[in-house]
Amino acid sequence: MNQINPLHIGALLVALIAFLLFTLSSMKTEMLEEKTLYETSEKLALKLSSLKDVYADKKKTKRAIERVLSQSSLKTAALDVKREKSSVRISSKSIDTKALNALMGKILNGSYNITELKIKKLSETKASLKMEIKW
Amino acid sequence: MKFRRDTTTLFLDPASKEQLIYDTSKKVNIILSPSLYWVKKMSLPVTNVREVKKLLPSIFEDSLPVGHYSYTAYKHGEDFMLFAYEDKKILDLLVQHGISSVNTTSIHFAQSEFIEIPSAFCINEKQCMYLKGELLVLAPSEWISEKEKLNLDTVTLSKHTIKLQQFGHIVDNGSLYKIGALLSTLALILIGEIFITSVKKDTITLAQDELFTKYKLQSTMFQNRSSLNKYSKIHNRQTKFRESISYFLALKLKTNQKISLVAYKSNLLSVTISGVNTSSKNAIINQLNAKGIKSTTSLTNDKLKVEVKI
Repeated sequence: MNQINPLHIGALLVALIAFLLFTLSSMKTEMLEEKTLYETSEKLALKLSSLKDVYADKKKTKRAIERVLSQSSLKTAALDVKREKSSVRISSKSIDTKALNALMGKILNGSYNITELKIKKLSETKASLKMEIKW
Repeated sequence: MKFRRDTTTLFLDPASKEQLIYDTSKKVNIILSPSLYWVKKMSLPVTNVREVKKLLPSIFEDSLPVGHYSYTAYKHGEDFMLFAYEDKKILDLLVQHGISSVNTTSIHFAQSEFIEIPSAFCINEKQCMYLKGELLVLAPSEWISEKEKLNLDTVTLSKHTIKLQQFGHIVDNGSLYKIGALLSTLALILIGEIFITSVKKDTITLAQDELFTKYKLQSTMFQNRSSLNKYSKIHNRQTKFRESISYFLALKLKTNQKISLVAYKSNLLSVTISGVNTSSKNAIINQLNAKGIKSTTSLTNDKLKVEVKI
């Protein structure tokens, strides 16, 4: 004969549903926040990764500079190359303008972090060069 | 260890003027007077009670006064004993006698408990009950010559009991079950949705961790943003530096005008052009302005020094 009031069961179910709705709402909000954070992080990661790949990859930058310096048009140019831990300094007191064009063409069209540059015209065919590239 | 309390059997009759007296520390079994239910004995072409119960509302349809009835049945030999009763009426009577539903162990019909009685039993001041065929019926006391006082001590209760629907008069069971089922289904759907959302959230968190590993990110987003800011600045400067150089190299200079010095240090690009006089200076500056380059210039002798902040 002990019977539970159906209204109590109804109220319990309604309260349970209200609680579940609240929990679901909170979880959805948290999930959206997580999703937004993930999307932001992914964008940042892609950008940062591509920029680091260009400007912070020491080995890659070094190899690329070595390739530029080893090209035939620059072999005859008296280039003074000083390799340091986080940079390379390329200088020449007198460089042929053709060799200079070849060198600068490669450097400016590549993705190098040029922090210092000085090109001074000495004559119609000669110039002096001072350049620093960092990574 | 479970203790079982003794029970008292009471006969509930709406016409009795006597107040039921019982030990409230004991649980009670109730036997309902024939005036609290309607009974039919029928032979039906069905085999089990469950099928019979479905037919009960239509069987009693024409014989009951207006009210909210519950039905029950049990097999009696080859026939079925069919009952209709009003829960609220019985409950009200129980309350009237101070019997709470908590203390009630079982409720029986007099029909199922007095199947073999030698003579009539008087149940109140005016009525007696007796067996007519196999049905227990009521009759005025004056009509009965041989009658005894009802003695419940000798009654052995059967297993035929009913459960009163305390709220049956408010909402019928069918609607109650439907609403309950609907709410339960909704709750289950919500639980499912919470589970799915939780899994999705965990997947995103996992993907976030994998992202850090895949792109070798630093441990905090603050550090990563700082790094991005640093490399973005470098990239923007290098892009602007190259653009500016290309604009200077594309300048339309007169035959006597030459770029004699290009210097870049501390984010300042300085270009010196020789063979420039005051009038031709403006032409060069105009060309640079047309390209959107903001510069500062100084003309010393015939040398124009153009400085651009990168």
